[in-house]
Amino acid sequence: MVPPQWYLLLSAAVFCIGLFGILTRRNALLFLMSVELMLNAANINLVAFSVFWGNVTGQAFSLFTMALAAAEVAVGIGIILVLYRNFKDVDVTKATTMRW
Amino acid sequence: MVGAFDYAPAIVLLPFLSFLVALAGGKYLPKGGAFGGIAATAGSLLLSVWVFLTVSGGETHNDTLYTWVAGVSEETVSLELGLLLDPLSAMMLIIVSLVALLVHVFSLGYMNDEGETGLPRYYAGLGLFTASMLGFVVADNLLMAFMFFELVGLCSYLLIGFWFRQEGPPSAAKKAFLVTRFGDYFFLVGVVAVFATFGTAAFAGPDSFPHIAELAMPGGESPDGAVNTFGFDPRTWFTIVGLLVLGGVVGKSAQFPLHTWLPDAMEGPTPVSALIHAATMVAAGVYLVARMYGFYALSPTALAIIAFIGGFTALFAATMGVVKREIKQVLAYSTISQYGYMMLGLGAGGYVAATFHLMTHAFFKALLFLGAGSVIIAMHHNENMWDMGGLKEKMPVTYYTFLSGSLALAGIVPFAGFWSKDEVLYEALVHGLGGSTLLLGAYAMGLVAVFFTGFYTFRMVFLTFHGEPRTETARDPHGVRWNVKGPLVVLGVLAATAGLVNMTPVAEMLGMPGIELLHKWLAHGGIEMTTSEHYVTLLEEQADYHATHLSPLVPGLVSLGLALAGAGLAHVLYNVPSPERHTDKLGAIKTLWYNNYYQDELQVWLADGVVRPLARAADKFDQGVVDGVVDGVSSVSLFAGGRVRRIQTGIVSNYAALLTLGLTALVLVFGIMGGWFV
Repeated sequence: MVPPQWYLLLSAAVFCIGLFGILTRRNALLFLMSVELMLNAANINLVAFSVFWGNVTGQAFSLFTMALAAAEVAVGIGIILVLYRNFKDVDVTKATTMRW
Repeated sequence: MVGAFDYAPAIVLLPFLSFLVALAGGKYLPKGGAFGGIAATAGSLLLSVWVFLTVSGGETHNDTLYTWVAGVSEETVSLELGLLLDPLSAMMLIIVSLVALLVHVFSLGYMNDEGETGLPRYYAGLGLFTASMLGFVVADNLLMAFMFFELVGLCSYLLIGFWFRQEGPPSAAKKAFLVTRFGDYFFLVGVVAVFATFGTAAFAGPDSFPHIAELAMPGGESPDGAVNTFGFDPRTWFTIVGLLVLGGVVGKSAQFPLHTWLPDAMEGPTPVSALIHAATMVAAGVYLVARMYGFYALSPTALAIIAFIGGFTALFAATMGVVKREIKQVLAYSTISQYGYMMLGLGAGGYVAATFHLMTHAFFKALLFLGAGSVIIAMHHNENMWDMGGLKEKMPVTYYTFLSGSLALAGIVPFAGFWSKDEVLYEALVHGLGGSTLLLGAYAMGLVAVFFTGFYTFRMVFLTFHGEPRTETARDPHGVRWNVKGPLVVLGVLAATAGLVNMTPVAEMLGMPGIELLHKWLAHGGIEMTTSEHYVTLLEEQADYHATHLSPLVPGLVSLGLALAGAGLAHVLYNVPSPERHTDKLGAIKTLWYNNYYQDELQVWLADGVVRPLARAADKFDQGVVDGVVDGVSSVSLFAGGRVRRIQTGIVSNYAALLTLGLTALVLVFGIMGGWFV
């Protein structure tokens, strides 16, 4: 069996890729995808430990996370549509009207 | 059985009702609501007489009627309204309601017949005044007394400023209000101090504050520390509290240095002067000291201060009365002077004497003011005595009653003032000789004032009624009707005879102690601890007042002689067909007296030259330092906010970066704290 630290490393790598995407990208759609990556990094952890302990609760929980991610995407795409409608662009650094 | 005490609240409520009636419907009533007032005060008088008779039967009443703030535990206090009917208050009730009744009747002549407008307001004021004064008299605790004390002051303001369209009265009213309020401020602090010390403000009974104070004195029955004296010796603390309350007394009873409002208050209608500034309101101060005499008796310092204020005021005011030109001004200063005598009597341990003088003075001073009112009607509202003269033949009723009052005021035997003033001086003398030598100084001042009193009183009488008429008006004065003469006659008889209830010198001479009725009245049958017998014991034990045995005959003759000398001098100088202005010969002294020792100027200077710069400095401190600190704090946060808000860029990536940084920082902190990196 693969020891859990590999899973943890994989999960951390995926999380960092997502984080990197959020910090560097300007396209809102890429933002959304990066968030998905970070959520799934968490899912990897849940499933890995579930297998490791022989307890299915973690896997069930990751199903919930996926459902949540789907809902989040729905809302996120809605926001991006409105963003596009108002600013004619999906570049998040252009939409700076709500500032000091 | 329903007795007099069950109806006693009506004594206060009846005039209050007349106030409401006059206020609401005075316009539609005949005489502007005067009859309502007359009926109400007559009812109060009848009830007072009934109470008086019941009290003389040996019954007293000390009960709470209404608790408006109930204390929840031992440590909290209850604020109550109640009735205290004992010999002292029963006597005072009769005085107040009788004088109020006569003044209401007199007002028919002075106000209605003279065609004044605004009469409903006038009678409403009189009604409210009578109600509050009666409420003050029956008050069973200090706080209730304070409340009615303030109401009395308010009514005085309303009535002095009755002719508010002229220039003088509103300013006099404001002055009276402010000066007495200055004293009442100390009174209020004193009330709070009494509550804080004793947890009660009741005047009489086993749980009353004078009694608790008595037990808490060194050598008393209560253990040390039974009452909270705020770290002072009990006697010192009780002196402080007593002096605080005395502040209100000095203001209301127009004692030096807060006497300046009373002469100005003569701007009000004359019946008001008679009721408020002679017979009742000013009496409130003295009555309050008498009411809580058991408390003052514990403090020889407070007593000495009272005696000295009294003696000094008696002399001080009498000298100013000598040079005044207007009849009401002379009477105003004589009022201040006579209240000085009462304070002297109280301070000298003469509780009965002072109460006696309070009673006789109420009658003869009300009489003199009403007499002056009658003269003023006759003179078409000219008050200058130098424009009068020769009114004796024209208005005999006024003359003879006024003469009766003047003889009483000057203290000529056998009129009322002689007996009472003499007893005050006698008490000061015997207690002074008995060891409290300080009192002899106050006695000396009182004695000199007797001479001045005799002089100014008869100067006034001779200038007004004797000699040749000096003006056209005096030659053909305006007549007065029954409603003026009636009250004068009643009071004239009382001024002549009221002193006979307490003829101490005669009792001593004839060996008939039974005829000192007032002594007996106040000594027995009252509520325990508030009898004059108890006060004498207290004075001996606590204040170290001992009376030497001395025949009252010689001191009586001395003061009678002085009064006669004063009156005789006035007779020689002024009882001539056309008197001269002899007081002008006094030169600078006359100017000083005529300007009231520049007391008004002094007080204005105090307000303007001392208090105003102080207030200005305080304002500067407030505006500069206090507001500066507040403004400083706010500008710091304003500046910081202006800088910090710049992180709110509106760029989502920045927020994400901040979030990440924050999370990293948190993880690092937790890591270091948790020792993950070791």
